[in-house]
Amino acid sequence: MIAYVIRRLIQSFVVLLIVLLVTFTLPYLEPGGILAPAYIVLGTHANKVTVAQWGVQHGMNHPFFIRFWSYLTQVFLHFDLGHSFKQNMSVWQIIALYIPRTVWLALTSLLLTIFIAIPLGLVQASRRNTTFDYAATGTAFVLYAMPSFLLCILMLQTFSFGILHLPAQPPSGVAPWAMFTDPLPFVLPVACLTLLGVAGISRFMRGTVLEVLVQDYIRTAKAKGCSKRQVLFRHAFRNALGPIVTILGLSLPALFGGALIIESVFNYSGLGIQTVNAAQLLDIPTVLGITLLVSILTLMGNLLADIALGIVNPRVRVEAR
Amino acid sequence: MSTSPEFTQIVNKDKSDNFITPLWRQRFNIFLNNKLAVASVLFLFSMIVACFLVPLLYHTNQTDQNLALSSPWNQAPSAHHWLGTDSNGFDVLGRIFFGGEYSLTLGILAGFITIIFGTIYGMIAGFFGGIVDTVLMRILDALLSIPYIFLLITMVTLFTRSTVFLILIIGLTGWWGNARIIRGDAMLIRKLEYSQASSAMGASRLHIIFRHVYPNSISNIVTVATFSVADAILYLSALGFLGLGIQPPQTDWGTMLQNGASQITNGYWWEVYPLAFFFVLVVVSINYIGDALRDVFEVRLLER
Repeated sequence: MIAYVIRRLIQSFVVLLIVLLVTFTLPYLEPGGILAPAYIVLGTHANKVTVAQWGVQHGMNHPFFIRFWSYLTQVFLHFDLGHSFKQNMSVWQIIALYIPRTVWLALTSLLLTIFIAIPLGLVQASRRNTTFDYAATGTAFVLYAMPSFLLCILMLQTFSFGILHLPAQPPSGVAPWAMFTDPLPFVLPVACLTLLGVAGISRFMRGTVLEVLVQDYIRTAKAKGCSKRQVLFRHAFRNALGPIVTILGLSLPALFGGALIIESVFNYSGLGIQTVNAAQLLDIPTVLGITLLVSILTLMGNLLADIALGIVNPRVRVEAR
Repeated sequence: MSTSPEFTQIVNKDKSDNFITPLWRQRFNIFLNNKLAVASVLFLFSMIVACFLVPLLYHTNQTDQNLALSSPWNQAPSAHHWLGTDSNGFDVLGRIFFGGEYSLTLGILAGFITIIFGTIYGMIAGFFGGIVDTVLMRILDALLSIPYIFLLITMVTLFTRSTVFLILIIGLTGWWGNARIIRGDAMLIRKLEYSQASSAMGASRLHIIFRHVYPNSISNIVTVATFSVADAILYLSALGFLGLGIQPPQTDWGTMLQNGASQITNGYWWEVYPLAFFFVLVVVSINYIGDALRDVFEVRLLER
């Protein structure tokens, strides 16, 4: 098990290096190149000599790999994600406040998704082709095809301006854990993100369980006289768990992407809104810094999912070489 | 091969001269039997045609930025404006098709670019295996761990937001998931007996790729392409919704929905619901066609 964890750790580290290389290289591709920020600081009509001097001051005249190395030490040793020239603040300063809010939103929805989608998929598979199954599959299909912001608009219209009159906007100047002390304003954003997750995961769970149910060991279980409940929970459920943990790990980027949209619709001040704001300001270091941070969160989530998979399924530890 | 006439007649249900129905014909029949899938194709086709044809027949001004000064805005549906007007005075019905032109064209083009790149990358990784596969897959892992919408936002911040660029950017970055699926296929087919046999008979790698691996993974490629188009349309609309999409005077469905969303609290339902209906129906039908295509290529459903 330890060997497996170490192997996965090394793999994740390599992947992280590639992500860093991507976020580091992107500004080079910008029309103005890496000297583009100089024109923000010095003004659009700054002359070439001043711009070149500014570049030298900020070490932009060094070769690519030297700069990449100092970028790596910055990120790893000082947790420095760069400097926003547009807002004249360090990127970390801009986003530190909002990380907990986004993470709480995403985590709560992920947990709810797991607790709703897995049982739902299991029930759908065991009652295949009943009215309930058709209704759930159809709903998931439509939700899956709907842009996430449209779902938010419809939910807002129905549950905030229509019935129930839930608050349409969570307060912004409160502690990140306000979600748990005063949950009412957070119901709609969390519900939207959860619904999006459930639409994808329950569909996958149903498919996986259906595939498991035709395996030989299920027939054996039935033949030796297991009750329907035992077959479903002890045999089918456990074997479907592996693929589900993997897909949960892989769905993390979609989770954060969904959170971004939901934050913009509900004006929930988190990393997503910061990204969109920075993008509208053309503030590239901030956008890249947040993208990097969210990627790191995703990688950590994937790593956890893989370790969890190694625990629930011993075969993985041996196979994944 | 000589077979008794009775046997031929039993096997061959539609009385052609061949021994069995050609493969593509069988597959086409399976698709035709799926009524909902046929309806989806018809709907999608008519929607695409409508997006290009309706603006020619139903004349509305969709480009004048100062229209709201001369034309009534936020007006309820009437005989003059069938689905009312939006907050800029644009006719909503006309605008649905005007924006649809961009949404659908961009989605389809971007989707096709993703499938080309995904196929090439996946084939190389899956077919060569070993160290090539490891390196290519680790790169994919890294790219896939960057949440896609964040990456898109980064791209449109770094570069321009022109129509061509939006197609290219979704096309050039959207293929990572596809590559993974096709790589799995290529890996599987490379190890199957017919590929092994071909290789034993001295076929070149290129021959095996083009003669065996590619034709046998076409089913997945076609299915994945369908879903890619749907994804591209959705991502494009998300960008539009965030105000980072196509620039005026052009528009797309995402931008329109964002406009409508800010008006809907005032009760101007016609600015969101009709478009939302068309939008969801388009994506649902694309996804349904994808599902149906997957069934078509299921070997189990073919007559043998």
